[in-house]
Amino acid sequence: MLVKRFEPLEGRNIEIIETVMNSAEVTPLPEDVQFKVRLCVEEVEENILCYSGSTWIELRVYVQNGRLVISFCDGGVEFNPLDKEDPDISAPLEKRSIGGLGILLCKKMMDSLSYKYEDGRNYLTLEKKIA
Amino acid sequence: MTVNIENAGSKTFVTLTGRIDTTNAAQFQADINPLLNADNPDIEIDCTDMEYTSSQGLRIFLILQKSVTMKGGSLVLKNMKPAVKEVFDITGFSSIIRIV
Repeated sequence: MLVKRFEPLEGRNIEIIETVMNSAEVTPLPEDVQFKVRLCVEEVEENILCYSGSTWIELRVYVQNGRLVISFCDGGVEFNPLDKEDPDISAPLEKRSIGGLGILLCKKMMDSLSYKYEDGRNYLTLEKKIA
Repeated sequence: MTVNIENAGSKTFVTLTGRIDTTNAAQFQADINPLLNADNPDIEIDCTDMEYTSSQGLRIFLILQKSVTMKGGSLVLKNMKPAVKEVFDITGFSSIIRIV
């Protein structure tokens, strides 16, 4: 299991992504799975870095029951990204925006997402079947 | 990530190489900025060597498509890798940007 805390966060977005990608849990996975993992990690950490106000992220990466589990914990404002309605992906061009697409990509590319807010912390966990 | 832009007659040929992500999306936006200023844009983007895009990259493609549409021009993305195409499909971008 990889456990790593990042604090402060400024300018460390690529370091967080590469930490996951270089972990012993992720490097053996097929290329297409690694693509999805990279994308979802980027989308989640981007949200935390840009909007949570947290000065830190605690990252956990492990494999359990044939699933890769990536969990993000931060001390920012309470925010459940799974509560938000998905963006309308059939809207005409002029009505399109980028809001919500990151979490939509995570929902479609991972096998499960879960969120909880506990002791003043946001916990967002991504799971991907790898067996 | 590199962006190469070549003008040939009335057409503009763009070649994208590498990953478009949170670290270089601002650079990508600056690189394609000249395309937003064309009067009658006719743009073909070769995505053969585009390895990855996150929603940060999609944002720039959306800006470009809106600009091209507003000017009555044409934009087409060619030779996209399946993994990258899936990002456009999931987000519904395949229905607002022409991908062949």
